[in-house]
Amino acid sequence: MYGGRFARSLVSDFSAMLPTKNKKQMRPSFFHHLHPPTTPAAQARWRYTLGAGGTAFFLMLIIGVTGILEMFYYIPNSQEAALSVQMITYHVPFGGLIRNLHYWAAQLLLIVTAVHLVRVVFTAAYSRLRRFNYLLGLALFILIILLDFTGYILRWDEGVCWPLITGTNLLKTIPLMGNYLYSIAVGGGEACSSALIRFYTWHIFGLVLPVVVLSIWHAFRVRRDGGIAVPPPDLRTDHSRISRDELVRREVLAILMIGILLILLASFIPAPIAPAMMGKPGLRVEARAPWFFLWVQQMLKWGDPFIFGVAIPLGLFAVLAFIPYIFPQPAESDIGRWLPASNRPAQIVVSVLALIILALTGLSLLPA
Amino acid sequence: MNYLMNKLITFAAGFLLLSLALAWWLDARQPLAVEMIPSLSGQPEYCLTCHADLSEISSSHPVEVFGCVSCHGGERLALDADLAHSTMRGGANPSDLSVVESSCGGSNCHSGSEAEGRDHIQRVMTSIQSTYAGAIASIRYTFGAQLDLNPIFGIKPIIDAQTRTGITALGAFDPASESHPSIQQFGENCLTCHLNADPLEGSAYARQTGCAACHSTAGHTFTTAIPYTQCNTCHNRGNYDLRTMNFVERGDQPVKRIDDYYQPIAQFTQCEYTLDCVDCHTRKEAMGDGDIHANQKDIEYVQCKTCHGTPTEAPLTKTLTDPDELAFRLALLNPVVDLQIGDTILISEQGEPFWNVRHLPDGSFEMVGKVTRQYFTFRPVMESGCTQSGEDQSSAYCHGCHAVE
Repeated sequence: MYGGRFARSLVSDFSAMLPTKNKKQMRPSFFHHLHPPTTPAAQARWRYTLGAGGTAFFLMLIIGVTGILEMFYYIPNSQEAALSVQMITYHVPFGGLIRNLHYWAAQLLLIVTAVHLVRVVFTAAYSRLRRFNYLLGLALFILIILLDFTGYILRWDEGVCWPLITGTNLLKTIPLMGNYLYSIAVGGGEACSSALIRFYTWHIFGLVLPVVVLSIWHAFRVRRDGGIAVPPPDLRTDHSRISRDELVRREVLAILMIGILLILLASFIPAPIAPAMMGKPGLRVEARAPWFFLWVQQMLKWGDPFIFGVAIPLGLFAVLAFIPYIFPQPAESDIGRWLPASNRPAQIVVSVLALIILALTGLSLLPA
Repeated sequence: MNYLMNKLITFAAGFLLLSLALAWWLDARQPLAVEMIPSLSGQPEYCLTCHADLSEISSSHPVEVFGCVSCHGGERLALDADLAHSTMRGGANPSDLSVVESSCGGSNCHSGSEAEGRDHIQRVMTSIQSTYAGAIASIRYTFGAQLDLNPIFGIKPIIDAQTRTGITALGAFDPASESHPSIQQFGENCLTCHLNADPLEGSAYARQTGCAACHSTAGHTFTTAIPYTQCNTCHNRGNYDLRTMNFVERGDQPVKRIDDYYQPIAQFTQCEYTLDCVDCHTRKEAMGDGDIHANQKDIEYVQCKTCHGTPTEAPLTKTLTDPDELAFRLALLNPVVDLQIGDTILISEQGEPFWNVRHLPDGSFEMVGKVTRQYFTFRPVMESGCTQSGEDQSSAYCHGCHAVE
């Protein structure tokens, strides 16, 4: 008698968490409740959002879960780190798959956040009251780049030593505070011998915690700023809206497709791995930066490391940060539309910057 | 619209499950990892996952003690061939002289003390087989690049701080810095015999480099029972053409030892074409004695009289009383003889044991072939009908009467 009531309660409680079409149950489930009741149809289309923001959240979730699983086996000391990566890759049941998922989700996250940024600029979605959230997003983008770099360093194999030395030495070139920044990032001693525990802590706590906080803040601000960027009601041509049920369905479909892509990538293209680092490797080991820093590596060949390795990349982010503040505000009717004329200068600046980065990356891949 | 979306979601969910099944199937296809924890390192290694078919390298290097990585290097945990092999020492040959110290060295292994006879690497590095010093000096002297036959250069630079020969160091021979074309030719064509070099391309007498050049006769094996055919990979594979300064490889495989030697004027007694080289020539002769020598003849000292004595002197012998005698260790490595305390064995002028030659109570000697395990008995020259003067006992004199042809 009691058992039957317990089972019914359990089923009822769990079913309340799930999406439902039961019209009698008027209150939305937890997952539905995370979404606005309705969304403007024109701005909820994939061809408008590209699904980039939502995809980024999903990828962060995958990275978080796979990262926690990796932490069960990863050993953050310089003697055993690379060996523990090999252990995860080859001997832990499904460890290779988990590591590959972590890797590919992290690479895709970088691409997706970059696409998200470009989309926001190209649809004038940063304007007016959203420009603070634009800055939050930009900060998240920078943190994600740093997370990718520290994650790359945690392999602690022969492949990462020279990029690690180059990357951390760039900090030293910063006038006045370079050495302090280096000490904060690396600690004492040489980067390739003592810095692992620092990078581990940065990767697991120092960067992840801000990303979690800023991501929640970013999502909160999207809701607080009125949901997805859209022209004011009197300037809209399309007044139709979709329900949160429909929005969740689209998200589920996107999640499934990204899941499939990730599993296929993780199954067929393994994450990079190299022999364990035994002291500082000779220069015979190809000293190539991770792909997302190849454009900086290419510039470093041209001269002063502070100018080309620090000042220009930081300047680039500064330009991006100032876009909502220095360019004329887009017309209200243009907000939430692709390539509106009223924010053309911002589109041109971002396009030029993106093309320069892509060209530099391409140049760095050409044989010397 | 909802209907289409639900269909799409169902289809995508099915595809996701399929891709998960594919990922599981790919994982299940991986070979079952075979773990081995050698007692020497105490660290797991997984080389046997792919290499279970390899034979044990030798009875003195049991795989459960040494494993693979302590000699070969490599990434012990990797199951991907490229990564696993990426840090191997000397490729497939860890005994290559460029890496031999890391692979085979260590005070308990092959770079230990001379007193314990564990200085193999030091001996090989300084040996004439490795330096090629005699040939280099000879050619440079012939073509006027140096004033005498004293060696100045070896294949690789080497230092011998505790020299007993007076030669303390050799510089690296660099054919490019030589001015005489013949010496340059020699450098280009004739440096493939020493232990540092791979043999010529397409050589029918293939051998490896370093220790394996002599000790690895086939596949993944190491032995001290080195057959004469292994020595032939260098010592009977062709000859120099001093006119063109080229090495002319012989095109045939020697079949009959007495007829197929590359020096047509050479003379041989029966033991020279019946026994294996290692039956008579000692470890110091073959691997060096730890000192840099000027020429092959300076290190080669075993002659007929070493075993047979002279009309006036019996060969040198030694009765084994100490179980730690080197002779026992050598006999253990190649157990063709059941050597016992109290056995009397032949020794060389330098005290090197011929542990496979025992003195029998009737005054004769019994030799067991180190490779063939054949038994041979012989009597010393003393009290035989030999009329050769005791002063003239080099092999050339013995050949005068005892050469087969």
